[in-house]
Amino acid sequence: MPHDHHDHDHTEPPSDLSLRVKALETALTRKGYVDPAAIDAVVDIFENKVGPRNGAKVVAKAWSDPDFKARLLEDASAACAELGFAGLQGEQLKAVENTGDVHNMVVCTLCSCYPWPVLGLPPSWYKSHAYRSRSVIEPREVLKEFGIEVPEDKEVRVWDSTAELRYLVIPERPAGTDGMSEDELADLVTRDSMIGTGVASRA
Amino acid sequence: MTNSIHDLGGVHGFGAIPRETGEPVFHADWERTVFGLMMAGMGTLQVNIDFVRSQMEATPPTEYVRLSYYELWLRTLEKMAVDKGAVSANDLSTLARGEDVALDKTTDPFPPEGMAGFVAGGASALRPLDTPAKFKVGERVRAKTDSPATHTRLPRYVRGHLGEIVRDAGGQIYPDSNAVNGDDQPERLYSVRFTARELWGEDANPHDTVVVDLWEPYLEPTP
Repeated sequence: MPHDHHDHDHTEPPSDLSLRVKALETALTRKGYVDPAAIDAVVDIFENKVGPRNGAKVVAKAWSDPDFKARLLEDASAACAELGFAGLQGEQLKAVENTGDVHNMVVCTLCSCYPWPVLGLPPSWYKSHAYRSRSVIEPREVLKEFGIEVPEDKEVRVWDSTAELRYLVIPERPAGTDGMSEDELADLVTRDSMIGTGVASRA
Repeated sequence: MTNSIHDLGGVHGFGAIPRETGEPVFHADWERTVFGLMMAGMGTLQVNIDFVRSQMEATPPTEYVRLSYYELWLRTLEKMAVDKGAVSANDLSTLARGEDVALDKTTDPFPPEGMAGFVAGGASALRPLDTPAKFKVGERVRAKTDSPATHTRLPRYVRGHLGEIVRDAGGQIYPDSNAVNGDDQPERLYSVRFTARELWGEDANPHDTVVVDLWEPYLEPTP
């Protein structure tokens, strides 16, 4: 099972969980609180339709089109909506740009807030107790675990997104990509680079 | 429940960031169902996002750290469904044992065909606010040291610390009241920048900062 190592700490076997979930779904369905088809619909959206490919298109367009980048930095929700990316947990998007002077990274120390329309649902590590606790107190150590070494004299700016503002990091555009199309550029933009725990690169 | 373990910023001891291969969005069918139940059920259970968060945080801390992400959601959904009178704990137990119970329909669910529009439409927390801003961008402020027993989004690690207003984000639903009684009477939200040294002491990198979004009632002027 790919379900990570903190699984060992769990006390309930998965079969019990499945039974509890089935019981809750059955009860809420029969009482009229949910329609199972609505569950399938929303799961399909977040499992198959919305994901970090959306954010990568936004970043690639920002790298290619200075006017779009200006609009993105001014009102990220409106700019992302131009590309069709909008909705729950993206109502108030803010784009923060990595530069030679600042490396941005995003966390939610209180729960798991994340910009769904551009990145989809967060990966398990983003929701982990370790990432939530450590990112604000030792961001550079966290970044090292992701293979990122930020120079000591460059600011690491951590955005703790505990309100309803959602943050999208615009990574630095890699060198040697001048002639690339937006589609080619989007392939360089990883999900982690838009959280700030990665960089965009040609490798 | 404000001073509890969900407020993780700065806590030591959780070790390396757990990474997994493949990073599936869901790891099992039951996780899919739990996510879907929350998304489809919040409206009919008449619970808002701040209330849901307050219920998750009310999980005893020893249990909170033991549960996986969607186990915490499941526990919270079960509690809300029972507390709101949608189902009884007894009926849930009976069903989970594989026995049947008679349950009559009492309400109408969110329609499946409306889900795509609901997700794409969103639900902004922005609200009109006619009171003037108490603080200006560039102003120094202190995060209050309040410890309300009810829901708040003022993390402990910034309480009592000095920061600088970097953005006025306007009137927004105030979670502290919205979680308690559904009163979304707005308060102004600010982005506040703290230096790492202010928060963590002299060993912190002198260039590093943390920006936290804080509502006006969380902040006080500095002399």
